[in-house]
Amino acid sequence: MEAVLWYVLTGTRGGPNRVRLLQAIDERPRNANKLAEELDVDYTTVRHHLDVLLENGIVEKSGDEYGAIYLPTDQVQHHWKVVETIMERVE
Amino acid sequence: MARISAAVNVLLLLGLGYVWARNYFQFRSKHTLGLFVFSLLLLAENACALYYYLLDPTLSAWFAAEVPGIAWRAMMLLHVLETVALAFLAWVTWD
Repeated sequence: MEAVLWYVLTGTRGGPNRVRLLQAIDERPRNANKLAEELDVDYTTVRHHLDVLLENGIVEKSGDEYGAIYLPTDQVQHHWKVVETIMERVE
Repeated sequence: MARISAAVNVLLLLGLGYVWARNYFQFRSKHTLGLFVFSLLLLAENACALYYYLLDPTLSAWFAAEVPGIAWRAMMLLHVLETVALAFLAWVTWD
């Protein structure tokens, strides 16, 4: 999991944006629409990043397709120290 | 063909190096540094190959005239395999 976090969040082009998403989701689980609004990022971009985070087991969603709420997985909570280390470098 | 592949490799590595360098300067993580250094060294390798093939006064003449087809094909295979590997890496890194 740690290697996945490092790679997905710092090894790819969209990494920095995904860190911001994860940060927002950690503060308060939200749906894609809200996230796009609050981070001022295009909705389809947000969906793309959320799909990557989903695929890698970093976030999970609850609820149906529209308005599904995204939240960090237990696995990520477990490795939150790594996420914090990465987050310190954003902004 | 070997020259084209080496040129494509240079372009792919510039793209990858750009992403990794930018992320390294933001995150300062050793993981990203590793990727960045890797891309730099492989970039140097491909840039040298292009230089030897096209510009170096002695070597380029030698490569153009004296290298038999079978040796060119062998080198082309190496460069093309590297291009495929880098294209794949670029695909997973670009998202």
